[in-house]
Amino acid sequence: MAIPISQMWTVSTYVLKNRLAGRKRFSLTLMLEPLFRCSLACAGCGKVQYPPHILKRQLTPEECFAAVEECGAPMVAIPGGEPLLHPQITEIVNGLVARKKYVYLCTNALELKHRLPEFTPSKYLTFSVHLDGQREHHDFGVCRDGAYDIAIEGIKEAVRRGFRVTTNATFFDGVDPNNARAFFDEVMAMGVEGIILSPGYSYDKAPDQHHFMGRARVRRLFRAILSNRKPTWKFNMSPLFLEFLMGDRNYECVPWGMPTYNIFGWQKPCYLLQDGFVDSYKELLETTDWEKYGVPSGNPKCANCMVSCGYETPAVIDGFTTWKGFLAMARGNFNKYPDSQALKQLSEAAAPAEQTEQCCCCHEETKS
Amino acid sequence: MTVEVQKYTMEQVEALEVAPGADHENLEGWVPALATDDALRDALEKAFDYRGDVTLTLKSGERIEAYIFNRHTAATLDNSCVQYFAPDDPEKHKVSYAEIARIEFTGKDRAAGKHWEDWVKNYNERKAAGETNIALAPDALE
Repeated sequence: MAIPISQMWTVSTYVLKNRLAGRKRFSLTLMLEPLFRCSLACAGCGKVQYPPHILKRQLTPEECFAAVEECGAPMVAIPGGEPLLHPQITEIVNGLVARKKYVYLCTNALELKHRLPEFTPSKYLTFSVHLDGQREHHDFGVCRDGAYDIAIEGIKEAVRRGFRVTTNATFFDGVDPNNARAFFDEVMAMGVEGIILSPGYSYDKAPDQHHFMGRARVRRLFRAILSNRKPTWKFNMSPLFLEFLMGDRNYECVPWGMPTYNIFGWQKPCYLLQDGFVDSYKELLETTDWEKYGVPSGNPKCANCMVSCGYETPAVIDGFTTWKGFLAMARGNFNKYPDSQALKQLSEAAAPAEQTEQCCCCHEETKS
Repeated sequence: MTVEVQKYTMEQVEALEVAPGADHENLEGWVPALATDDALRDALEKAFDYRGDVTLTLKSGERIEAYIFNRHTAATLDNSCVQYFAPDDPEKHKVSYAEIARIEFTGKDRAAGKHWEDWVKNYNERKAAGETNIALAPDALE
């Protein structure tokens, strides 16, 4: 695992304190969306389809700090929209770092390289760069030729300046596991601290609803990708969550583990579903009908979700509150997960498909 | 969409190969008939899901063009409300269901035409025409 010891210590003591205090629900990471504007227009993204007067709105630094204080989570992820488009993003980040929050600024990195001088390297600040795969795959996925090369320049410059940098990938249906593994090689060679990944999820608000894997397919894909790991790969995630993606363990969704705050308020029930908003974090925890969500609820909206915003929290809690989980987490950091079946899957995926051609993103298959 | 038409069993969920996804209705330009309380509730639920502005006409005659981002439903229309942002107004506002006489889906549906297939088609056409550096641009902020 690529997470610094100080961060692990902060998170583990936070989890234990909350458990000892008898709290049933608490949050590990606040998903702080200061704006919905973005410099990309990725097909399939459900976060940016709003009228212009909504896209022009943004949270003030004071609103961001108040939400962070109210939530109390030790980590803050800043997605969006594109956070670097916020005119006061430096002030927001500096304020969170001053509060000793571990900040993951999620960016498409189109602006990163020339904005870096505005930021100061810190163990509390990580640039989490959205990269969905190798050049051709990423550019097609984000609907912009050249986006990968620009992001790579930003990553390299950030690493050179001493910032913590991770990449952040979402894998959709049709991803070639061999390409995903080659992508891991590429980004690790750039000197990033680790890789963050998640399967795509067909949440209601996304305009595109037809390229999302069900759970069975997610497990097969991630078993192929994450088995037989190379020693150079590091993941900025709980090893137990990765085992969950591979189908080696099961968790129930903990949507309050990564609550979302944006211009509309506190989002019910999670980062991806928008079933309404409330004015306070307390109200979110106390008035959301949590039984209506997650796989056991039978809610079709939750049926194919294995996303980190719901399932990484239980993995982290498992790792820090049970001996069995702790040992599995420690083992997971060194385990290469050898799996001959997964190797076979990789060679089958690498074999050229007879009589078919796939477009560069692998989403569309056409007869040749 | 808020109406849950089907609930999955654990076995069905675990065996899902491809997620069925939700069907988005084409609501742009729609003016629902609000003959009953249920019709009003249903229309406001759709307005909450809609990725564009709507125009509300209140029983007082006031017309409000707004983006509805939230709703609270209760047993009576008086106690149910929608929350909205109106253009050029930084504040959140609230109006009771009981005050609403008419809803028009007047704003552009910002999610329409943004399916994956639309992008693939767009890309292939532009590439065939010899274009390089192909990209989709974000909507203008007008």
